[in-house]
Amino acid sequence: MFLKTELQGNVVIPAESLDAKGLMLQKAIFVRLLDDFAKRKATKDLGYLLALKTVEKIGEGKVRQHTGDVLFPVTFSAISFKLFRGEILEGVVHKVLKQGVMLRCGPIENVYLSSSKMPDFNYVPGENPVFYNNVSKIEKGVTLRVIVIGAKWLEAEREFQALVGLHADYLGPVP
Amino acid sequence: MSDKGGKGFTPGVKSSLKDASAKGGKDDGSAKSKKTRNVQFASQAKGGKTDGAAGKKEQEPLQLKVEAELPKGAICLMDCEAADVLQGIQDQMVILSKDPTIKLPVSFDRGLQYTKKNIHYTDPDSVRQVLENLKTYGVTDGEICVIANVYPETADEVFALLPSLKARRIMLDDPVSDVLSELAKLKKKE
Repeated sequence: MFLKTELQGNVVIPAESLDAKGLMLQKAIFVRLLDDFAKRKATKDLGYLLALKTVEKIGEGKVRQHTGDVLFPVTFSAISFKLFRGEILEGVVHKVLKQGVMLRCGPIENVYLSSSKMPDFNYVPGENPVFYNNVSKIEKGVTLRVIVIGAKWLEAEREFQALVGLHADYLGPVP
Repeated sequence: MSDKGGKGFTPGVKSSLKDASAKGGKDDGSAKSKKTRNVQFASQAKGGKTDGAAGKKEQEPLQLKVEAELPKGAICLMDCEAADVLQGIQDQMVILSKDPTIKLPVSFDRGLQYTKKNIHYTDPDSVRQVLENLKTYGVTDGEICVIANVYPETADEVFALLPSLKARRIMLDDPVSDVLSELAKLKKKE
């Protein structure tokens, strides 16, 4: 699910970026915030950080001693993507294994659907392995509507892994 | 549900204890009867608890509790709303990308592509207004976003995918049906 969050942070601007013109300062703050976003990639609370929506407020700058940099407290709103338990999502299959399939849901690459959560689907091995039931087929490139069973935050990789299922009505391949 | 299970389970154990003590009293020493009682109690407890837990797992479907896990200051966005916002940012980036210092997060493109696949409605603001009516019946923001994202055709689909609403189906059936018929007018013609 997409989230819009208002956040507060501190942006440090080196002395050489400061300019007499107010606009250039705002640009420097914006660029720094975007840079920080791009580096952080994701957090446990907010999920995957997608974009900076608006900079609501820039507070009074404080000069840091010794370095001469200026620290600005900034209030901004951001768009992020996070998985919630019980949420209904659509994902695209990118890997088919005997034990289940791997899906991609938006920015999340590692969404795992176990074969035990795919009632009535049977694995058919081959060059392009698939899961079949009497009505439909699950193979690479197919879009599936799934329910989120759980999500795990991996601190080292700064990403989420999710577990999903098809074990309820109205879930499965989407035409 | 768990409370009911607990209340139902405890008297059963107590009665088996009484039976065991009665039998024990007639037989050998009190120590032996106590041991028998303890074993019986433990096995009863284990059996009862396992049954209870298995019953719980079978009966309780996955409940959506977005509000419990939502970080402070965050609000849920429907996919169509996020699509508008992200597309707007991308349009601005076309101008800003001339500056090499400005870069977007890696996840941005994937997020934008995901929203573009799920654009079912012509006007996200109208969709939000229609679904807001469900809030007066206690439907949460997270549940409203899931309903919008799922693009349901029938009320049955809504209640099947959101078990948290099933318990209040009697109250919600008519409002949900009304909302779905309004959403059908806002659906994008393919």
